[in-house]
Amino acid sequence: MAGPVPSIAPPVERQAALDRAHVGDIEGAMGTVRTFDTGPRRTLRGRLITLLAIAGPGLIVMAADNDAGTITVFAQAGQGHGTRLLWVLVLLAPALFVVQEMASRLGAVTGAGHARLILERFGRVWCAFSLGDLIVLNFALLVTEFIGVALSLAYFGISRYVAVPLAAGGLIALTGGGSFRRWERAMYFLAAADLSVIALAVLHHPAAASIGAGLIPRLGGQPGSRAMLLLIALIGTTISPWQIFFQQSNVIDKRITPRWLRYARIDIALGTVAFVAAAGAIMVACAGVLGGRAGHDLVDAGAIARFLALRAGGFAGALFAIALLNASLLGAGVVSLSSSYAASEVLGVKHSLHRHFADARAFHGCFAGLVIAAAATVMIPSAPLGAITTLVQALAGILLPVALVLLLMLCNDRELVGPLTNPRWLNAIAAAAVTLILGLATMLTITTVIPSATAVDAAVVTGAALAACAVVLAAALRSGNRDVDGPSRAMSAWQRRTWTSPMLELVPGAPSTRARLVALALLRAYTVVMIGLLVARLGTLIAG
Amino acid sequence: MDNALPPERLPRDAAERLADTMFALATPSRLQILSALRARPRTVSEIIAVVEMEQSAVSHQLRVLRDHAVVSVERRGRERLYGLHDHHIGALLDHAQSHLLELARRRRSGKRAGVDRAG
Repeated sequence: MAGPVPSIAPPVERQAALDRAHVGDIEGAMGTVRTFDTGPRRTLRGRLITLLAIAGPGLIVMAADNDAGTITVFAQAGQGHGTRLLWVLVLLAPALFVVQEMASRLGAVTGAGHARLILERFGRVWCAFSLGDLIVLNFALLVTEFIGVALSLAYFGISRYVAVPLAAGGLIALTGGGSFRRWERAMYFLAAADLSVIALAVLHHPAAASIGAGLIPRLGGQPGSRAMLLLIALIGTTISPWQIFFQQSNVIDKRITPRWLRYARIDIALGTVAFVAAAGAIMVACAGVLGGRAGHDLVDAGAIARFLALRAGGFAGALFAIALLNASLLGAGVVSLSSSYAASEVLGVKHSLHRHFADARAFHGCFAGLVIAAAATVMIPSAPLGAITTLVQALAGILLPVALVLLLMLCNDRELVGPLTNPRWLNAIAAAAVTLILGLATMLTITTVIPSATAVDAAVVTGAALAACAVVLAAALRSGNRDVDGPSRAMSAWQRRTWTSPMLELVPGAPSTRARLVALALLRAYTVVMIGLLVARLGTLIAG
Repeated sequence: MDNALPPERLPRDAAERLADTMFALATPSRLQILSALRARPRTVSEIIAVVEMEQSAVSHQLRVLRDHAVVSVERRGRERLYGLHDHHIGALLDHAQSHLLELARRRRSGKRAGVDRAG
């Protein structure tokens, strides 16, 4: 890697780790980086070999983002609106990248996962709320992934009573196997098979002109129409809270230190491109085959596969079903892992894919418990699947803003992140991205919880909330950055780039500036209002 | 002390397990808690009084210590008594302490010898 030659011995390990297995050689799917091998990479070949070893968390999180729910929503968008909503993907990609880059850097610097950092820096109430919401939300998501497994294999005539237990058992065995490398290779395999949708798009795309036209942002239809709801659902499935939690913990478990952050960024960028390509391909293929044929309501992914087969031949249907199967398996493996990582790091028990089942019982037991419970739910004949999907959207809309705002505040926490805090320009971009996602998440929750309200009302409420939050965010970040540098001014460029946090218990508490208190108070108010709305809605549902 | 010498070639697997145990000992707050348990098992409130840390911090570190089988817990009525898992842990702490005392002693005598030579 280009850059200044270190004048002192480069650091080989992080200063603080929550699990001893988080320190050591990087054992990636496609290469190894030894702990002491931190010298500069001078040749292009050397850099590529390093990139192959480091890459993984970004590619996997983005591939898993294209899970059963995302595939279904993008296919519905392609069927109902052709390629007219393609621009949403282009708009979302930078926001997705910025958020995941912050989570990745925070993990590499601190060695602590997102849930644990929330506990350490914002206290037990925020941690309990985030962790509780994450686990419930992830469980509901996990159920949708197993529905994806059941629907895709049903296309090939395999009963869900065979498919779902097999998938659950395979995931538990893989994750508890004690080899990070084997796990990552399996995830790569699933992610690669997921890309078969690109073949589908190449075979069945509509005219290039209509794809080009779809890249121009515009809203089809009236506000409050079904197009608007679909747009919100599209964004809701693309950016979900588990991605932040998973990425941060997985970067740590992969033993990536700040020395490798440049490679980790390339990993995330490649993942983002792969996500946009795959999700876009689904929309394009479904637009090409099913677009403009109104009248068929494609309720689930199995119906989409059957309609593709009907219109474009069995091969197209099979390609879609295979993509759905792999996407669901990948999603299930990664979403439940984000829960077990988060719970274990908060409790302080061993949590690493480098450990096999017997060595980290609480961690792997949590994973297995969630997977088995979700698989069992799918096999109950009359499980309330529609309600589960609604629950996913409502809970994601509540948790996402909390996770994002706390992420942004953590990335500006100078005591914790030292010289690797967000630079001002990144804060500006990140605040814009967070504000955008925050507003859309709020709309998602409101429109999910109050189906009768028009999206116009929701948009007004959101707009007000947005403006308030944007102002507070900007203020909080600026005041957080007032004492720019401090100890880091004396550091060399190399030291700044490889700095890691001290042990969490030795980090001084975050100064409670007024901006920080106001931001947290606003966030609390938002959370209380949203939960109140959700509870009220559930109450009327039960009463009715 | 047990007399069995450790094998000269430590297998990788055993080294990993040993490193896990050492990891559990490698935080100031955890060492303070262990020292508080050196003499006898104690309840959480007793530990808090000795080490002067917050209750949540003590509970958290006790969980880490239990997860690594350094500390064990015993229910006595409504109370939970935390103690060192076995006498080896105590010996480990004692030896590490003696090592530091030894270092300090040598440094002092070395300095004195240096002063003597200079004078």
